[in-house]
Amino acid sequence: MSKLAGVDVGGTFTDLFYIDIETGEVRITKVSSTPKDPSEGLIQALKAGDIPISDLEMFLHGTTIATNAIIQRKGCKAALVTTSGFRDILELGRRDRPHIYGLSGVQNPLIPRNLRFEVAERLNHRGEVITPLNVEEVKKIGGYLLDLNVDVVVVAFLHSYVNPKHELEAGQFLNEINPNWHIVPSSEILNEYYEFERTSTAVVEGYLRPLISKYSENLKEKLSKSQYNKSISIIQSNGGVLNIDLLGKNSSNIIRSGPAAGVIAASFIAEQIGYKNIITGDMGGTSFDVSLVLEGVPKVSEQVDLDFRIPLRKTMIDIHTIGAGGGSIAWIDRGGILQVGPQSAGAFPGPVCYNNGGLEPTVTDANLVLGRIDAENPIGIDGTLNKELAEEIITKKIAEPLGLSLHEAAEAILRVVNNTMSGRMRILSIEKGHDPRDFVFVGFGGAGPLHTASLIKEVGMKKALIPCYPGVICALGCVIADVKHDFTQTINLPQSDWDLNLINRVVDEKISEGHSRLEAEEIKLEGIENEIFADMSYEGQIHTIRVPLLPPLSKESIIQAFEKTYEKLYKHTLPNIPLTLINLRVSVTGRRKPIQLTTFMKNHHATTIEEAKKSSREVYFNGRFYNTPIYDKNRFPLNQVIEGPAIFGQEDTTIILEPDMSAYVDDLGNLIMEVIK
Amino acid sequence: MIDNISLAVIKGSLEQVTNEMDTILIKSSLSPIIAETNDMANGIYHPKTGETIAQGSLGLPVFLSNMQFAVQSVINSVQDVSDFKPGDVYMLNDPYLGGTHLQDTQFVRPIFYDGELFCFLANTGHFMDIGGGTPGGWAPSATEIYQEGILIPPVKLYNEGKLNKDLLKVFLKNIRLPEQVLGDIEAMKNALETGESRLLEVIDRYEKANVLACLDEMIIRSERQMASYISEIPDGVYTFEDYLDNDGVVDKPLKICISVKVTGPNMEIDFTGTDPNTVGPMNLSYSTTVCACHIAIKHIFPDVPVNGGTFKPIKFNIPEGTLVYAKPPHSVSGYTEVLGRVIDVCFGALQKAVPDKVPAATFGTTGVMTIGGVHPETEKYFVGVFPYPGGYGGSKETDGLIHGNTPQSMANFMSIESSEHRYPVMFECFKVREGSAGAGYHRGGTGSSYTIRSLSDQMVVSIMGDRAKYRPFGIAGGKDSVPNKVVFHLETGEMVPVMQTKIDKQPLKKNETIEVNSPGGGGYGDPTARLPELVLADLNGGFITEEQAKNDYGIKFHSKVTEHGYTFYELD
Repeated sequence: MSKLAGVDVGGTFTDLFYIDIETGEVRITKVSSTPKDPSEGLIQALKAGDIPISDLEMFLHGTTIATNAIIQRKGCKAALVTTSGFRDILELGRRDRPHIYGLSGVQNPLIPRNLRFEVAERLNHRGEVITPLNVEEVKKIGGYLLDLNVDVVVVAFLHSYVNPKHELEAGQFLNEINPNWHIVPSSEILNEYYEFERTSTAVVEGYLRPLISKYSENLKEKLSKSQYNKSISIIQSNGGVLNIDLLGKNSSNIIRSGPAAGVIAASFIAEQIGYKNIITGDMGGTSFDVSLVLEGVPKVSEQVDLDFRIPLRKTMIDIHTIGAGGGSIAWIDRGGILQVGPQSAGAFPGPVCYNNGGLEPTVTDANLVLGRIDAENPIGIDGTLNKELAEEIITKKIAEPLGLSLHEAAEAILRVVNNTMSGRMRILSIEKGHDPRDFVFVGFGGAGPLHTASLIKEVGMKKALIPCYPGVICALGCVIADVKHDFTQTINLPQSDWDLNLINRVVDEKISEGHSRLEAEEIKLEGIENEIFADMSYEGQIHTIRVPLLPPLSKESIIQAFEKTYEKLYKHTLPNIPLTLINLRVSVTGRRKPIQLTTFMKNHHATTIEEAKKSSREVYFNGRFYNTPIYDKNRFPLNQVIEGPAIFGQEDTTIILEPDMSAYVDDLGNLIMEVIK
Repeated sequence: MIDNISLAVIKGSLEQVTNEMDTILIKSSLSPIIAETNDMANGIYHPKTGETIAQGSLGLPVFLSNMQFAVQSVINSVQDVSDFKPGDVYMLNDPYLGGTHLQDTQFVRPIFYDGELFCFLANTGHFMDIGGGTPGGWAPSATEIYQEGILIPPVKLYNEGKLNKDLLKVFLKNIRLPEQVLGDIEAMKNALETGESRLLEVIDRYEKANVLACLDEMIIRSERQMASYISEIPDGVYTFEDYLDNDGVVDKPLKICISVKVTGPNMEIDFTGTDPNTVGPMNLSYSTTVCACHIAIKHIFPDVPVNGGTFKPIKFNIPEGTLVYAKPPHSVSGYTEVLGRVIDVCFGALQKAVPDKVPAATFGTTGVMTIGGVHPETEKYFVGVFPYPGGYGGSKETDGLIHGNTPQSMANFMSIESSEHRYPVMFECFKVREGSAGAGYHRGGTGSSYTIRSLSDQMVVSIMGDRAKYRPFGIAGGKDSVPNKVVFHLETGEMVPVMQTKIDKQPLKKNETIEVNSPGGGGYGDPTARLPELVLADLNGGFITEEQAKNDYGIKFHSKVTEHGYTFYELD
């Protein structure tokens, strides 16, 4: 009873990571995703790995289903009921536009205007009733909604975060009219002020609920047919897992399911070998996801825009995505300057070398032309790559117009895309007040290990880590993630009005709610941790900062904690300005038994450097070809340092080590590379 | 001559330096206007010409080319370039030297490498107060720039790294929020210093000669790029005119005339025929007018990079003494309205040449509403700023956006719940202004309506708006939209301001309300060609009225009622 399986269903591939903790056996598989019914691909991945499904202790899962449903507008038919005068909050947003330059593009709300209704009711900002709820209007709307055949009714009233009474009452009446409706009061989803963001978050939740519930049922049934009847958990955007039976009411929590798992895994692995401050980079076919981990804790954000004017306010691991990946297209602008991305050749037709009719040169084509990837044994696709075609297209579209040789042109493509990615890595750390050069980079994803060496040089970092299984790291993250629940309550009190009884009561309530949710999950835990944060600012400021608080709470301890955090971020504090406490946040984490990473090494059969060398090929670095040895990483001796250039291959990735760098494989199967100065 | 690979990589690195300066300034500034709405910009400028080399991507469009004018003014202010010393920081806010309005203050720092002047770094930040007669600086009735705030010509705030304390003291003594502004000054200086050390690293890495060559080459390449876009515009002379309602002091329309002449890769923009500068603050300095045209062109061709070369193919003839080339001491704090109208006439003229690339007019008014007074509960002074949201014009690609910000800005509208926490107000509604969009094959976005109730007897409202008489225009057969409308509901009855949408410090007693209805955007193309299904959806959504569906779009429909009384429309 020690077998765990994690499956991450991505847009292109479905990855599996399986581990038997007792024997140390690890299996990984990668199959094509099945967008029509993602659970198909999931079952295929289990079959491909010959996983003993009925013996599994836990099955953990990451999925992009929620994100896709929003982007493609494939959720359900939902209605919105609001305070009279405010049904357009969802459509209007905050006075913005899609792009800074260019004035085309429109909002496309998840609930159209003819399905948004108003009822007379009004609270003030203290939650006091100014206009009582007009029950007759609620009932009348209920009748309309029966005729309109909706699946979900979201109820979002002004100031419901202080007093949910009207929302709940209206929900109750609607439920009586049709018990089959999913009723979503905004205050049940988010107890924060900012009416547009709260309404939007509740609408995202409602829009997804029927779909996610159906998906959960379908998945349970499919796994049950495969003789698996134990706990199924889904990874949430905050990096914690959630029992699938609770998913229906938390549908909007899994928006960043897979990517969050990747960061969790990277951070866990790095911490095992003492790296607590890392930047993670997940480079796939179309995008590059970067994230910052400080003192072993992934940075979180409280809001993400899922699409133009569709914000989601939930505690999520802070992941920034830019359009740079293996499929990114290289082109020459009208000024004659080489550019790469953000357009991507995607999975189809994909890079030129895939031979699927792609005619635009991509990053993958450049990697191939330079010998960085193997045309005969590409990872993740069947067959071989067409190197001649890639050479022809790069020559015609990039090299000739710029007056470069083929290889110079291919290398220039890589330099430009690496420059873009390193720029995002720099900004991410600078935004949080840090120097990126103080961090270790953890590179993963299909294309990450190919670019890691150049990226760290570009940013000026010294060291990078490629985890043992970089190609399936999100699946691995599912297996090791803890259980986590986040809560927020807006109290919005100036320092002079802080009521410690109120603050302690809110915190205690949220903690006990977290504990009862953990119990409901029925996941085996080793311990529970509670964390308390406050969103605070100087009075009058609009931006708040997230301040960690330690009990016992007192006015003084809260002020001290604020000043400490503010100083860290901005290098100074502002004397004589009183504080405001906007939101209280509570995080309850159930710790699962950590997995011993040494078990991964059961698959590693260390030999000598000579024996691990499979072959060699000519690879182009910095303007010339080097005869570059190719090693089987799974046979490479541990802790023996070699200097680049070198290539390490394993079943899920190819790692490039550049000439002026050194690397070794550590006791946990990670490859550590350093820049030689 | 620099090679193509180095050019691409060094260009990326220089742009990165400016993006990092943006990030630092936004994150460390104190005032919400910089921190929340990015009312700032950072860039790298040419050592000889002062032209923009690169500008950060988070800065507002309104600073697109104004920054370059500020740097050039600093260069012109010294006897000789040898007057620039490492560690100097120049400061200025004179709109006639750096553009925009007095609140936007520029810092310029010469950067040295190997003991030689290498380039300038500069930034600008909007200060929440700049002194003068009206808190915040938007003064609808100002007739001289001296009423709008303290004026700073190019002066050294830092002399070889040493702070000029006396200058700072004088400046801070003249403004209402000295602590906050001091915080922003620190943040701006910090961004310049960080930018300098990052830039020096870039030069170290790629070598001085290469980076210098890149500065010149980037300008040449952008010029070439812009020229290639202009070449695609058919040769010809394209004219347009539009009006501002009034200047806030004298109720008389103000005409802006534009003529755009395209000859191959060159463009000449001429404002001959535009009305003289105004008594009230509806004036632009020369550089702001040029910048407004650049903003319009960048919206039409969003892919062109922004530097000194980008706009070289565009020449200007702006007659002195017009409201688009005012001279000191004319007041300028209504510049947001004039700048918006200049953008409109650029669109209006160019749509005649390239209708596929140009949207119809946006709602065309920044319409800043400022509320101020003493909060009855805290007894503290408060100032709240609500910029107008409105509809965008339809375009070849899409209908117009609803509830957009102005083309020159990215500033957002405050949360209603948060406003009710901060200020003694209660919103009565916040909604789509039905029927306000210009009809078209792609219709404009609707305007927005909102009504605010005062909960205090000590509150005043100021508004600086426009487009009450002259509507945002449709193009290519699309119709004009519905104009701006401001109504006060006072104890004494309804009141529409004399200057329609401009009013200075109107008292709003407890339970009195102000109702604002912003314009929609103009329509694009023949409305009768719009798909009937889309017209029906607009009708069912309440975006258009029954009359508009019938008269403008020409569809035939009837209404239906469901079992429980829900009414909707179907096509006949």
